[in-house]
Amino acid sequence: MGLFSAFSGSAPEDKRAEEVRTGAVAPLRTERAKCYVARDAYFACLDKNNIIDALKDEKAAAKACGEESKEFEKDCATAWVTYFKKWRVQDIQKRARLAELEKQGANKLDITTDFKPRTD
Amino acid sequence: MQRIPRALAPSRPLLDELFNTQTRQCRRLLSSQSSQVARRPAAAQGLAPSQRYRPLVQKRFKYKTVEEAKSRYRSGPFSWKAGLLFILTGGGLLWYFESEKQRMQRKRLAEANKGVGKPKVGGPFSLIDQNGNTVTDADLKGRYSLVYFGFTHCPDICPEELDKMARMFDVVEADRPGALLPVFVTCDPARDDPQVLKEYLSEFHPRFIGLTGTYDQIKSMCKAYRVYFSTPPEVKPGQDYLVDHSIYFYLMDPEGDFVEALGRQHSPEQAAKIILDHMKDWKGALRK
Repeated sequence: MGLFSAFSGSAPEDKRAEEVRTGAVAPLRTERAKCYVARDAYFACLDKNNIIDALKDEKAAAKACGEESKEFEKDCATAWVTYFKKWRVQDIQKRARLAELEKQGANKLDITTDFKPRTD
Repeated sequence: MQRIPRALAPSRPLLDELFNTQTRQCRRLLSSQSSQVARRPAAAQGLAPSQRYRPLVQKRFKYKTVEEAKSRYRSGPFSWKAGLLFILTGGGLLWYFESEKQRMQRKRLAEANKGVGKPKVGGPFSLIDQNGNTVTDADLKGRYSLVYFGFTHCPDICPEELDKMARMFDVVEADRPGALLPVFVTCDPARDDPQVLKEYLSEFHPRFIGLTGTYDQIKSMCKAYRVYFSTPPEVKPGQDYLVDHSIYFYLMDPEGDFVEALGRQHSPEQAAKIILDHMKDWKGALRK
């Protein structure tokens, strides 16, 4: 977090953002929304560069999506960043497995793994 | 004419006609034996008007007018009235059996989840709410309660599920005000004190009850509700961590017994319907 503490001034917003990042406070709705936007942008970049595991391919991810990663880490709690990166790997594996099973003619169950709330 | 029974008595104009044509009719009856004219009124339609009303034929049917007889001939025993009656009765019975079948299924589910003696899920607890007041299992009785376990630092699932719970609660509340208590229990008592819970829950619904307590209180609460949760071991003060936990809504009846678990597969509207259906089945006492 050294990168960000350099320009985190004494303004209350910065203090609050820093607290969210370190997990000192629980993020509120707007802060969560901001984090999700940053996360989706980062994941879109990883998709474009065919990087699945941002934790394993750390160098490749930093090289390809350095800007997005910076935003992601700025807007989300550090614990969340790790969580979402792991989640991404699991989700991609799950989708692949489901697609494979479906090809083999398995029955589809009504289970959602999306972040988006269901509307039906 | 005396031989016509009263119940079969034809209408006035018919009688007049019969009297007028009596003599002719007798004659024709004698002759008809050889000419083999059909006896049914059905056949009479094609005949000349004077031949239509023959006493022997008339006696077999209870029509008051010719129109009635004609219509009976045209449509047989099926009239629109009979059809309507059939559809209404059939539809009514079908609806009744279907609704009764569903009610029995729900009852069986509720009974199956109700432990004998000691409840399988749920039980006594004593925690504090977001305003610092003590809340026990006795406070939840007399109403249905929807219990959800989570924590305020939850990245994605809890906020989404709490929004769902708010929607669910609003739908149920619109139909049955005051019948459901939405309860959020934290699995992370170290960080989620009443103040934190208050700020967090106010963003979802003002009516949510947030419960917290000591680590041991929460642990026994989670155990009673068969909730799995994991606070990482050796947490240093100020260290950020996430808690793994079960993500079901527990629907508890007014006696504190577990009814049904609602999961991610239910949309808020589906879940609200399930809750309302269970409420409909409840015959016991409810708190006003």
